[in-house]
Amino acid sequence: MATDTPTRSARSGDAGVLPRRRGLAVTSWVLRQQRRAVVGWSVALAAVCALYVGFYPAIGDQDMAQLVEGMPDALVQALGYEGIDTAPGYLESTIFSLLGPALLLVFAIGFGARVLAGEEEDGKLELELTLPVDRRRVLLERFLAMVVQLLVLAGVMIATVVSMVLALDMDVMVANIVAATLGLFLFVLAMGTLSLGAGASTGRKAIGLVAGAGVAVASYMAHALAPLIEGGGWLENASPFAWYLGGEPLTEGVHWAGFGGLVAITAVTLAVALPVFARRDLGV
Amino acid sequence: MSSLPGTTTTTSTRGTAPEVVIRTDGLIKDYVTGSRFRERGAVRALDGLDLEIHRGEVFGFLGPNGAGKSTMIRVLLDQLRPTAGHAEVLGVTPQRGGPGLRARIGYLPGELTMGGRSTAGDLLAHLARVRGGVGTDRIRPLAERLTLDLDKPIRGLSKGNKQKVGVVQAFMHRPELLILDEPTSGLDPLLQHEFLAMVREAQQDGATVFMSSHVLSEVELVAERVAIIRQGRIVDLDDVATLRHHAGQQVELAFAEPVDAEPFRGLPGVEDLEVDGAQLRCLLRGEPDALLKVAARHRVVRWSAEDRELEDLFLDFYRVPVRDDEEVAHHGH
Repeated sequence: MATDTPTRSARSGDAGVLPRRRGLAVTSWVLRQQRRAVVGWSVALAAVCALYVGFYPAIGDQDMAQLVEGMPDALVQALGYEGIDTAPGYLESTIFSLLGPALLLVFAIGFGARVLAGEEEDGKLELELTLPVDRRRVLLERFLAMVVQLLVLAGVMIATVVSMVLALDMDVMVANIVAATLGLFLFVLAMGTLSLGAGASTGRKAIGLVAGAGVAVASYMAHALAPLIEGGGWLENASPFAWYLGGEPLTEGVHWAGFGGLVAITAVTLAVALPVFARRDLGV
Repeated sequence: MSSLPGTTTTTSTRGTAPEVVIRTDGLIKDYVTGSRFRERGAVRALDGLDLEIHRGEVFGFLGPNGAGKSTMIRVLLDQLRPTAGHAEVLGVTPQRGGPGLRARIGYLPGELTMGGRSTAGDLLAHLARVRGGVGTDRIRPLAERLTLDLDKPIRGLSKGNKQKVGVVQAFMHRPELLILDEPTSGLDPLLQHEFLAMVREAQQDGATVFMSSHVLSEVELVAERVAIIRQGRIVDLDDVATLRHHAGQQVELAFAEPVDAEPFRGLPGVEDLEVDGAQLRCLLRGEPDALLKVAARHRVVRWSAEDRELEDLFLDFYRVPVRDDEEVAHHGH
């Protein structure tokens, strides 16, 4: 009765055996697709950071102080320019409160909405979800792909800013630049995860985009406007953007409570999205 | 009690029912339409679907577009959850079976969407990797057989070539159950032939094949039994020969001079008779013998007999209200 031909009837005994040794197949696949995009964003981010830090000696502390002096107090506060005449203040006002978040948010929110809901809408996710892989694992591996890419971009940012700061002999601690970038990474990750989670829960890319971008913009506005409003302290406390930058990481280092809050947003979003994604109908 | 390859279906003891690979009982699936903000409604895509597919058979699942074929298939793959009723694949509900069940299934989607800069070979290697490496060694031989260039970027592939990628990934891990949604769409006739040979070989290896189509000719060469689905219900379930008999042929005869319609009327198997001078058209079900004998009294200058397509069958179903069991019995042997 022995036969060399592999038969299906014989293999049916493997019922329910899951593939082993596949590693993070989904994550690495997504990252391969994203290679060019990550390189592009890295170049853009490095260029913007280098350019703005490079302006610092040209503008100089004195010019900045004069510029701010001529502005209404409210505007200075809203723009976060109070400390712009110091090196950490300059970095914060330019790169860490505006251009860095803007670039990284566009990347993360776009990726978060596209990598699950977007691909589902396009029908590109269908094959993967009919493979022997749990839906929750698909979501987590795609989340992991976002983490890896944002880590790369954060690394590029640290490398650029630190080397410029050292080259220009600016008075900022390297550890604080790392701390501020870590905060930015956590903030952007939280917003990207909101996008991913909202998209995964609904299957609608647009809903993912609105969720991520909406919360990001609202929290930025809350942080900017809180000082202008009497009793606006609660606004500041409720703003994830303030959890990132409100603790002045460029002079004070890691702001544990704030950063913890950002991690919590990411964790809670995933905890909510995973079971919803596992339960709902796909691609309808 | 091991069985020889390909003998799974025939070794079962006489009297015991064949092993059921797919079973649905009163399967209902509603889609919610509209949004939260507008008036909501539900569309019933599957309306109490009952089906049993046995181990080792090739089963054809026929219906016009929008009849519920893909919905049914997507329930079997746990992409959709039933609104009511029950579905079971290889003895377990798709939801409970989860990834372990899907490891035993090969699926070819009806609308295959792929893209990206990666090559076809990279994508197939990735899919095999998610399967834990099962089937990696079969990618190259299968691609060669279907003349698929593995080094071309997916983005630039034609519809037919994308379909080949889909076929390779469905077959590469030698699944116990193949679920194929409109499998030959986009394949040229030569490749359709090759594909059908692959289906037969899989069956010989003991696989069960469930394939949907909206054209009878696509499945009749390989399928033993065929179900016809319309508006989410099975309206007919038969073996292929019976269905083909029921579908009949569209016959056209041209005579040398005008003929009288009367002798043709009421001949066995002749329906929808039209005689227009020297031209005769009719629908023929069953043997052509009686028709030919009457026709041979005249000089026949041209003749054609075309198998009717499933579309025409659907027209019959729409024209004649289906009387459930009677309808099946009516055209049984």
